[in-house]
Amino acid sequence: MNERIGPNRWAIFRNKLKTYFSQPYNVILLLFGIVVTVTTIAPIVAILKDTFSIHPGTIDQHLTGQATGYTVVNYIDLFTSRMAKTNLWTPLWNTVLLAVGTCIVAILFGGIVAFLVTRTNMAWRKYISSIFIFPYIMPQWTLAVVWQNLFNSNAVTGTSNGLLASLFGINMPLWWCKGLFPSLMVLGLHYAPFAYILIGGIFRNMDANLEEAATILDTPRWKIAFRVTLPMVKPAILSTILLVFGSAMGSYPVPHYLGLTTLSTKYVSMNSKYTGEASILAIIMMIFGVVIMLMNQMSLKSRKSYTTVTGKSGQISKVNLGKLGKYIVALALVVVTFFTSIFPIVSFTFETFLPNPGDYSFLYTGNPDNLTTKWWVTDENVSENGMYGQKGILHNETIWKAFKGTMLVSIACALLAGTIGTLIGYAVSKNRRGRWANYVYNMAFLPYLMPSIAVGAAFFILFSQGSINLFNTYTALIIVGTIKYIPFASRTALNSMLQLSGEIEEAAIIQNVPWIKRMTRIIIPIQKSSIISGFMLPFMTCLRELSLFLLLCTQGFILSTTLDYFDEMGLYAFSSGINLILIITILVFNTLVNKLTGASLDEGIGG
Amino acid sequence: MKKRLLALTLSLAMIVGIFAGCGKKDPDPTPTPDNSPVGNQETQKPENPPVENLTAVQQIIKEAEGMTWEELAQKAIEESKGKTFYGVGNSSRGKSALPLFIEALQAIDSSYTLEYEWQQPKNNKIFDQLTADGLKDTGTFAMTLIQDGNQIESKMVQTGVLDTFIPKAWAEANGTTADAVTGYLPLQTLNKVFMYNNQGSKTYTNCWDFVAEGEHGLFMDIDSEIVGKNFLYMLTREDYATWLKEAFEALPADKQSQFKTTIDAMASDAADLGLGENGKYALAWIKLWVESYNAQTDDGPICNTLVDKSATDQFGLLVYSKLRSVEESSSVSVNNINVAAYNEGYQGIGGYGYCHYLFVTDNSPLPWTACAFIYYMTCTVDGFSAWGKDMGGYSANPTVAEGTEAKYGHSKGGMSEDGTTVEFECKNDRGYQWWTTDGKLVLEDPEYCASVAFTVGSWIEMLTKYSAG
Repeated sequence: MNERIGPNRWAIFRNKLKTYFSQPYNVILLLFGIVVTVTTIAPIVAILKDTFSIHPGTIDQHLTGQATGYTVVNYIDLFTSRMAKTNLWTPLWNTVLLAVGTCIVAILFGGIVAFLVTRTNMAWRKYISSIFIFPYIMPQWTLAVVWQNLFNSNAVTGTSNGLLASLFGINMPLWWCKGLFPSLMVLGLHYAPFAYILIGGIFRNMDANLEEAATILDTPRWKIAFRVTLPMVKPAILSTILLVFGSAMGSYPVPHYLGLTTLSTKYVSMNSKYTGEASILAIIMMIFGVVIMLMNQMSLKSRKSYTTVTGKSGQISKVNLGKLGKYIVALALVVVTFFTSIFPIVSFTFETFLPNPGDYSFLYTGNPDNLTTKWWVTDENVSENGMYGQKGILHNETIWKAFKGTMLVSIACALLAGTIGTLIGYAVSKNRRGRWANYVYNMAFLPYLMPSIAVGAAFFILFSQGSINLFNTYTALIIVGTIKYIPFASRTALNSMLQLSGEIEEAAIIQNVPWIKRMTRIIIPIQKSSIISGFMLPFMTCLRELSLFLLLCTQGFILSTTLDYFDEMGLYAFSSGINLILIITILVFNTLVNKLTGASLDEGIGG
Repeated sequence: MKKRLLALTLSLAMIVGIFAGCGKKDPDPTPTPDNSPVGNQETQKPENPPVENLTAVQQIIKEAEGMTWEELAQKAIEESKGKTFYGVGNSSRGKSALPLFIEALQAIDSSYTLEYEWQQPKNNKIFDQLTADGLKDTGTFAMTLIQDGNQIESKMVQTGVLDTFIPKAWAEANGTTADAVTGYLPLQTLNKVFMYNNQGSKTYTNCWDFVAEGEHGLFMDIDSEIVGKNFLYMLTREDYATWLKEAFEALPADKQSQFKTTIDAMASDAADLGLGENGKYALAWIKLWVESYNAQTDDGPICNTLVDKSATDQFGLLVYSKLRSVEESSSVSVNNINVAAYNEGYQGIGGYGYCHYLFVTDNSPLPWTACAFIYYMTCTVDGFSAWGKDMGGYSANPTVAEGTEAKYGHSKGGMSEDGTTVEFECKNDRGYQWWTTDGKLVLEDPEYCASVAFTVGSWIEMLTKYSAG
C-alpha cells in the first residue's frame, strides 16, 4: 500500500524529445549544429596539429634533428628567433593597418555615396547606384593590376612606364604606387559596395523625423550628423567592419601584387621552408576572426535599441544640393566611378588587343598595326607568335575548362550555402533566445570572419591526408566554399525572417499545412528577395574567389586561379580576357535573377 | 508560369551539376609559357638498396633500366592502353610532349590509345601536391617533372615519394650505366641570365655592376621561386665565390672601393658559416643583391618590362628563353635589350642554371608507362622537342642536345632569313657549353644547396629585402 505512482521519467524524457523534434526548426538546428561544428572545428584542429608536427625538409626538422614527430619548436622559433620581426611582427602590424585602413576607406567611400544616393536629390542616382557595385564584382586584385598599369613608372618603380607616365609624363611617388596605401585603397574600393548596400539600406528606410526635430530645435548640422544620423547608421557601420575586416586581413593577391608584406603573403612565402610556422600565422589570423566575432557579440548585447529605424515612416527628407550642385556632385561621382568601374573594363578590353603585354605603342603612334586580335582568335600553339605557347582565348581549352569548373563550384556553393544558410536563418529566427540556436548561428558565421587564406590553409591540411585526400578536387572547393559562404545566406535569412510575424506561419499550422508547404508557399515567397540575395552573394563571391581556393587546387582548375596564373606570368591579355568573361557572367546571372525574381544586388538603393 | 519553369529548369541543372562535380578528381594543366633549358648536373643519389628492400615501383624501375626503347614501349602499351595518364610538372611542356609520346607508341601498336592530364602547379605547390598524393596506396600521378634539387632531396627523395629512373640510352649517351649514375635524372638545364635595357646610357660590364648603389634589378622573389634562393646558396661554394672574387678584382679601383667595406664586413660571417677563403665575396654580393633587387611575380613581367623602350637603364635576371615570345612593335623590341654576358669584356657570372628533373612516383599507377615517357623525353629529339624547339633549353643527353641544335639551329636563332644578317643579336644562343664556361653560369647542385639551406639560408633570410613600397 506504500507504493506511490511516480512520474515515469523515461516517458517524460521521451515526450519532451518528441515535442522537441516535432518542430522542424529544432531538427534543422540539431542537424546543422552538428554539421557546422564539425566543418568549423575539424580544420582548426588539423591546422593546430600541424603547428606541432615536424615536416621533412623544413626548419623544424633542422632544429629538432628529427624527420617525424611533434615539437613546440615552431612556436619558439617564430616568436623568439632573430627572424621574429621579419616573419611575424612586421607582417602582423601591416595586416592590422591594412584591415583597419580598408574598413575606413570602404565605410567613408561607400557611406558617402550611400548618403548622396539615398538622402539627396543628386542627379543620375540609378546609374551611380548600379555602377558603384562593379568593383565588388571584379576579382579584387584586378584593380591592383590596373593601379600598377596606371601609376608605375620607370623613374619611380623601376619598371616600364604605366599609362600616366607614358602619356602625360607624370611619375607618382613610391608610396602611392607600392605598399600599404595602394593596397588599402584597392581593397577599400573593392569592399565599398558592402558599406554602400548596408549603410544605404538604413539611410533609405530611416525616419527623417528625428533629424527634422533636431533642426527645429536649432541644432547645428554637424551636431545632427554626429548625434542623430551617425548613431542610426552605427549598426550598418559595425556590420561593414564585421564583413570587411576579416576579408581584408585574409586577402592574399592585393598585397602580393602591390608589394606589401602581410600575414597572408608571409604564409605563402614561408610555407615551403617554415611550414609549421606558417600554420601558426594562419592560427593568428583565425584568432582575429574569433575576436571579431566576440566583439560583435558584445556590441549586440550593449547595442542601444534604435527603434526609430522602422522602415515605415515614409518621410525621407532629401537634402537639396541645388540646381547646379546636384549635377556637379553627380559628375564628380561619375568620374570617380569611371576610374573604379568603367576604366578597368575598358582597360581589360584594350589589353586583349595589344601586341605584347603592357605594350601601349598604339596610343603613342595611332598606328593600328600596333593592335592585334591574336590573343582571341589564334587556334594553335605550335608556331611562335608571341603568345608563350598558348592558344587564343576563344580556343584555349584551359580557360574554358576552368570556366566550367568555376561555374560548377559557384553554382554548387550558391545552392548549398544558400539553402543551408536560409534554413539556419529560419530556424534561428524561430528560436531566437535559445542558446543552441545562437551557438549554431555563430558557429556558422565563424568561417566567414576568419581570413580566407587561413581557412584555405586549414582545409588544405585537413584534406591532404591519407584518409581524406581531396586536394585538387572540385569536391574540396565546393565543401570549403559552402562552409565559408553560409553566413551570406544565414544572415540575410535571419534578418528577413525576423521581420515576419509568427502569426502568418501559425495560421498555416492551425490549418495543418505541412512544414514544406509552409516554407515553399508562404515564407519563401514573402521573403524571396532577401533569400535570393543569400544565393546570389555566394555565387558572385565564389566566381572570383582566389585567397580561399589558392591552396586547395592548381591553376587551370578554376578561373580565378587561372586568372591569377596569367597575371603572375605577365600575360595580361589572357587575364584581362578572363576578367571580361567573369564580369559578363555575373552580369548575365544578375540580370536573369533580377528579371525572374525582382531581386538585385544593390537592392534598389538607387531607387 | 514560364518564369517558374525556367527557375525550375535552372535549379535542376544546378543540382545535376553539383552531383556531376562531386568526387571528380581533376585536372587541368595550365599551359605555361616557358622555358626549356637542358644540362648535365651531377647530383648524389643514395646507394642502391638490396632488391628485396625495393618497393614495387622501384623493382619495375630496376627492370626498366635495362630495357631498350622497344622493350619498354611494349610494356607501356600493355600497361596503359585505353587508360588515363596523370602527370604533374613545373613546366607546362609536359602536356605538349605527351601526344608525341602517344604517337610514338602508336607507331608500335596502332590500336594504342591513352588519355592524359598534365598539371602545372605554381608557387611551390608541386611539393604539397606530390606529398598529398604520396599518402595514397596508389597515387594519381604517374610521374613528375620537377625543379629545385634542394627541396626534391629533403621532401621528395628522402621521404620516399619519388624514385629515379635512368634510361639505358641516356646512361649510354653519357658514357655510363644506370647503376653507376649517382644523381637524379635531369631532362634539361634552364638558364637565367642578366639582361638589360640598352635604350639608356648604362652598360653593365661586370657582375658587381648589378649590385652597385642605386641599382634595383628585376628578379623573381626568392621566396616564390626557390631556385632563385638556390642560386644564392651556390654562390657561396668556393669555385663560384672565386668567380666573384676575380670579377671584383677586374673592377677599376674606384668601383672596388664601393664594395670593399661590405666585403670586409662579411669576412667574419663567412668564417662563422664555414665558407671557404672567398666566401666573403659571395656573402657581400648576396647581401647587396637581396637588399636591392626589385621583386617581381614572374619572369614574364620582367621580360615585358625590359623589352619596352621606356625601361631605360633597367636590368633583370630572367629565363633566357622568354625572349622567344616578344613581338616587335613601335615601342617593344628584342633589340632593346642586351644579354650582359654576350658583351665583349664582360666579367663575372652571367646568370645561373637549374635543372628540370624527372621522377617516377613511388605509388605510380602506371610505372611502366611513366618510365617509357621519361625514356622518350630524354633519349629522342622528338621527345625533347616540346622544350628543344625554343632557345635556352639544353638537353642533358648529349646526343639529343646535338640533334636538337641540328634541327632547330638556336645558335643562329637571331639571324634574318638570309642566314647571314644579324637581326636579333641576343637571340643567337651560344649554347650550354659556352654558358657553363665563358658565360660563367652558376649551376645548381642540390646536395650543396641542401647542406647550406639552414646556415647560409638562414643568414640570407636575416637580410632586409629591398622594398619598393
